[in-house]
Amino acid sequence: MTRRTFFLSLSGLAGCTSGKRPRLNVINYSDYIGPTTIADFEKEFNVEVRYSSVIEGSEEVIAKTISGNSGWDVVFPENRLVEPMRSMGLLQPLDHKLLPNISQLSERFRKPVWDPNLEWNLPYLWSCCGILHQGHLNIRGWNDFFNDKLRARTTMLDEPSEVFAVCLKLLGYSINSDSEAELRKAQRLALDHKRFLRAYLNTEVRDQVAAGDVLACQLWAGSAQLTIDEAPALKFTHPSEGFSLYCDCVAILAESRRRELAHQFINYLYRPAVAASITQASRASTPARDAAELLPEASRQLSTLFPSEEILARGEWFRTASGPTQRLRDRLWTEIKAA
Amino acid sequence: MTLTREQLRKAFLTPAWLVTALLFLAPIGIVLYYSLLTRGPYGGQAPPLTFENYTRFLDPLYGEILLKSFLIAAETTVVCLLLGFPLAWFLARAGSRRSLYLQLVMLPFWTSFLIRTYAWVFLLRDTGLFNTVLLGFGLINEPLPLLYNHVAVLTGLVYCSLPLAVLPIYATLERLDYSLVEAAADLGATTSQTFLHVIIPLSAPGLRAAAFLVFIPSLGTYLTSDLLGGGSTILIGNLVQNQFTTARDWPFGAAASLILMAIVLLGLILLLRRDEDLL
Amino acid sequence: MTSRWLNAYAVLAYSFLYLPLAVLGAFSFNASKFTTWEGFSLHWYRVALTDSQLLESAWNSLLIAFFSTLLSTAIGTLAAYSLWKRRSRFLSTTLSVSLVTPEIVTGISLLAAFQIVFRVFKLPLGMHTVVLAHVSFCLVYVVMVVLARLRTMDSSLEEAALDLGATPWQAFREVTLPLLGPGIASAALLAFTTSLDDYVITSLVAGVDSETLPMVIYGMARRGVNPAVNAISTIIVVGLGILILLSQKLEEQR
Repeated sequence: MTRRTFFLSLSGLAGCTSGKRPRLNVINYSDYIGPTTIADFEKEFNVEVRYSSVIEGSEEVIAKTISGNSGWDVVFPENRLVEPMRSMGLLQPLDHKLLPNISQLSERFRKPVWDPNLEWNLPYLWSCCGILHQGHLNIRGWNDFFNDKLRARTTMLDEPSEVFAVCLKLLGYSINSDSEAELRKAQRLALDHKRFLRAYLNTEVRDQVAAGDVLACQLWAGSAQLTIDEAPALKFTHPSEGFSLYCDCVAILAESRRRELAHQFINYLYRPAVAASITQASRASTPARDAAELLPEASRQLSTLFPSEEILARGEWFRTASGPTQRLRDRLWTEIKAA
Repeated sequence: MTLTREQLRKAFLTPAWLVTALLFLAPIGIVLYYSLLTRGPYGGQAPPLTFENYTRFLDPLYGEILLKSFLIAAETTVVCLLLGFPLAWFLARAGSRRSLYLQLVMLPFWTSFLIRTYAWVFLLRDTGLFNTVLLGFGLINEPLPLLYNHVAVLTGLVYCSLPLAVLPIYATLERLDYSLVEAAADLGATTSQTFLHVIIPLSAPGLRAAAFLVFIPSLGTYLTSDLLGGGSTILIGNLVQNQFTTARDWPFGAAASLILMAIVLLGLILLLRRDEDLL
Repeated sequence: MTSRWLNAYAVLAYSFLYLPLAVLGAFSFNASKFTTWEGFSLHWYRVALTDSQLLESAWNSLLIAFFSTLLSTAIGTLAAYSLWKRRSRFLSTTLSVSLVTPEIVTGISLLAAFQIVFRVFKLPLGMHTVVLAHVSFCLVYVVMVVLARLRTMDSSLEEAALDLGATPWQAFREVTLPLLGPGIASAALLAFTTSLDDYVITSLVAGVDSETLPMVIYGMARRGVNPAVNAISTIIVVGLGILILLSQKLEEQR
């Protein structure tokens, strides 16, 4: 055996766990699970879970798993990425017989547009994208946001789909528009409004809003509520012109050989108590029906977690964009960034 | 086992050859192949073979991105040379303590690049050190937006690259024959004349090496513009990274990487003379 | 330039180099999360040192750095010796090219390569892929340092050993290698710090078990300013600083 092979195998061994319990590899986003969910699951089922929460966006998940040999088992793609992942052969079908808690899903999420038979995924947490701002400001929608008084003290998300969604809504179009004319008009708007912005930031804007550096920012309701928990003077607004809705879903990768364990884990996430602790920790809305009753009264009053029907009527779900549309959007986004 | 000198030399070279061939040349070859493929409907890559990914670069949009990357790399290089030369001069004339002073310059460089970039995020924020001090002394009424702009990215790049510029300039200046400088003064040259016509030409190799060592990494920067730039501009490093994550257009990303590499190689050929090798 | 101005400039320059790190360190002891000083506290150090994700990734980083340093130093030293004996234009050029290749390009090329290879052999990304990637980019640094050292060495010493009847291998092992000791140590230190610090390439080729410290720190930094990051950064900077100063003291003593 050459020196090289010896060392390589040593490093491989070093990476392996020496535990005899079966193991599940789960990759998720930060602040997206209850504080004891994983530990409780490990204890109850006598398994080991490797839980990673370093990534920021769904596209990173695809980048990591596209080879088909990443080693992960359970992933949490966004709803509009479920169809692309399925068509690239990255997901394996769910067996509803192993998921009794599927009955926990509320009416709205039983037949979602992106997967009507829930063949490939279950909705995990959903939320809206709106405006988090200082409490003393009166912001009802995007027109108030793009205002000279707030110039250079606002940010938008570093996500093409979200920025386009705002501009399309301001023009009265659908956030899933694939018309080149409409998208170009939206891009024009985004370029005009770039001068109001300080930067395109995702979750790193949270402590800047809390500290008062930033007056208003585009942010997801879940992250916004987490920030408001720490800085109660802030407020979250669902824009009057309309806003985007998204749902992060849980799915099993086609490469996973731990099918049963993965199903057990997914099923576990929908127990009312578990779902309640997840939604409390992440501050995003849960599709599990009975979980709501287990939450403290104060949480049930929050419009970020439980938006009213009239608010939801202004929201629109993201849909998967076709290949050519995706390329057009990327191109337009690059132009916005390069300007 | 008695190997001849030639056999020994070849045996010693083999592992390096293997590593270079398998872990550098082959991967670049794969990237080349990918750059000629077409993007799948949602990502991935497949035949037919095409040059489209390269011709896409003729679009002025990408030319602009390349230009911006060039400009910021060039600015970083110039600032590093301007700041680094006096420091290298100081080191070269520092007498017995030279070695210690040099170590102190290089020390931050050995620690994490990521941490040093993050430190500037911490300093430049509205509630960061600079603004807090300026506000505290009453020099300004509102915090200055020091972060998320061109200058912030430039500062981060200069900060991380400065030690790398100082080292080769110092190496050249250390070997400088100071008597030549004195001779010029004796012949009646003014300080600036001496500087321009004696010192600069003599330190040219060091300056060229420093320019090279700063320019190349700054051209492909990704972390610094990510953390300090606030997503407002897109440089070539971000473009490449974007293609492999959000855009899921690997063939285009592959083409962009190879174009970047070609530019870098051009720089390598132009900046180094034939008798100077990096290795 | 008069000495006074030069000295003043040097003081400014050193302040510039050390100020950010000093501020980072100072605020790691701040009791509050914000930039208003609210008292001395070791709270954030406790948070950082009890965070299992941080600790595990730190261990991974050290393990990866150890193996990549071992491999790249061994392979690189041997290669440098060969290049010293007789230049190999092709290898030198290839190594130079790999030196100037931007990190993002190296990273994606390795990712693409690993994915193809492992699709065939059904092996996942993991610690081993990260180690291989690190060896790949550390190698050229080792070769550079050792070769530079060799070029200052007197080759007649080896010649003398050969004349006295030593085999080429013995000449290398008994004569050249010991003299090369400090050079190899510098090269190893360079490889070690480079491997420890890498983010771009590692994040692309890491697998399930191989989250490294830079990856975790970057993830934390992207979510906003977090004094725990200050704490862990200070630990790393001070730790590496001591390591480097020590090694240079040792080198001077030889």
